[in-house]
Amino acid sequence: MSQPAAILDPTGREDVNQNSTLAPRSTPLSGATVALLDNGKVNGANLLEALGRLLQETEGVGELRLIHKKYAGQPLDEHELKEVASGCGFVVTAIGDCGSCSAATVADGILLERAGVPSASICTEQFAVTAAAMAEVLGFAGYRFVRTRHPVASLTSEELDGRARQIAPEVLQIWGVTA
Amino acid sequence: MTLLSPEAPKVDPTLVETVLEYSYERGWTDGMPTVPCTGEQLGRFLAQTTRAADEVLLELGHLNRSLTVRLAAVNAVMAGCRPEYFPTVLAAWDALREEGYVGAGMWQSTTGIGTLLVVNGPVRNEQGFNSGANLFGSGARANATVGRALRLVAINVFGLAPGVLDQSTQGTPAKYSLCLAENEEHSPWPALAQEHGVAVGESTVTAISMRSVSHIEARQARTAEQLLYDIAGTVARTGALLQETLSTCLVLSPEHAQLLADQGFDRPQIREFLEEHAVVPEEVLVRAGKDGVSSQQRLRLPGDHPDARRDPRLASGELHVLGGPEAVNIVVAGAPNCGISAVVDAHNVGRPVPSIALVAR
Repeated sequence: MSQPAAILDPTGREDVNQNSTLAPRSTPLSGATVALLDNGKVNGANLLEALGRLLQETEGVGELRLIHKKYAGQPLDEHELKEVASGCGFVVTAIGDCGSCSAATVADGILLERAGVPSASICTEQFAVTAAAMAEVLGFAGYRFVRTRHPVASLTSEELDGRARQIAPEVLQIWGVTA
Repeated sequence: MTLLSPEAPKVDPTLVETVLEYSYERGWTDGMPTVPCTGEQLGRFLAQTTRAADEVLLELGHLNRSLTVRLAAVNAVMAGCRPEYFPTVLAAWDALREEGYVGAGMWQSTTGIGTLLVVNGPVRNEQGFNSGANLFGSGARANATVGRALRLVAINVFGLAPGVLDQSTQGTPAKYSLCLAENEEHSPWPALAQEHGVAVGESTVTAISMRSVSHIEARQARTAEQLLYDIAGTVARTGALLQETLSTCLVLSPEHAQLLADQGFDRPQIREFLEEHAVVPEEVLVRAGKDGVSSQQRLRLPGDHPDARRDPRLASGELHVLGGPEAVNIVVAGAPNCGISAVVDAHNVGRPVPSIALVAR
């Protein structure tokens, strides 16, 4: 059974925030606090922690803050958004591997960018269409997110380390650390 | 109380009511319950087409409102469509845009225009469109929801709420949904789409703006002429005359189509017969106050109206109500079980061929 998700407005006249501006990329990654936003899906936190450890080794990332979302299927509410955005320099969120949670994962990335924090959302390729549609619904057509091979839920910890190494370069690109 | 099988899904009745009422409160409805659309469903519908979500399918410039592929998908979900119907819905919008009447604001007209959609080709059977029993009368998901997908857009996207931007005096039940499939399997002739040059194996949607559906009880007809006179009498009713002439879409039941074909009538000959015999005597028009035509828009008026002009068509003492043989479209549909057909009063005056769009594969 899938998680609850927001009902879309069928009129096209909703007050869409047509804001496709990314957060400023001004904070150096070395020593920065990175929020690992876990939506609670299987292996989401494991993948994020593997990625966090890797970035500590390779990029000198500072503290890792693992944050668990209450519901995978809905974007962060205003309170959660503030909590995540405050006190961290970068966010990475995972794992969008179902219809509603991939949409919400991308929505979280967009909301966090608008709140001023460079953010990378990770979805599996199977749900890229849904994630892209969500970005459009939110007025951010073409929002860039990380697409990784499906599935993630069945990977072992060694395989997750490998997956983290595959994903890391694009996360750094989205964060604006590398070109 | 009937005991349900263990596989029957269980629902939270409060949640169901909350969700349904949410849409009702916002006016996102044709009056019947709608399916709530989430980003996940939208994604599945958009995945059925290569067209960009932002592509504009139909613009109502005067209302400053545009229908995009994305909004067509959201409303198709709400109408109850399955994702695989979406290319057919898109074809319906293509056909409607090309036909031109909706873009010109005809859905707002006091006349009360609805749309007849005719589906041809393999998509009929692949997606379960009904071309047989009770096809005007509900019961098949594909027919019901594809037609309804248009109506929900009218209300939700174009804002044509009844009495607000939709000023139809009465409207037509067809506005809920009017989508039928041609019964190609029981037709003695090539399909409507093939008649107009579409290759066999392609699926199409034909859009015909219309006002009403009148049935013809002719199960007794033994000759083609008996049947065609009966049809002509229904086509030539004065009440359908708004403009100088009218157009029609004949929906022949398989039995009637076979009777006509067996006696040597094909589509062109049926058209010729109807053009010749769908007539109203001048005195009947005078009685109904429709013997004149207005100077600008050529609308029917009493002959003594200040804006009325003498109708040159009445020189022979009777009006041939059809503007020409091309004013008759012919579709074969219904169950092969009885001699009952229908006349759809169309609103496509002046269109030599109907508006047909391909369903993308």
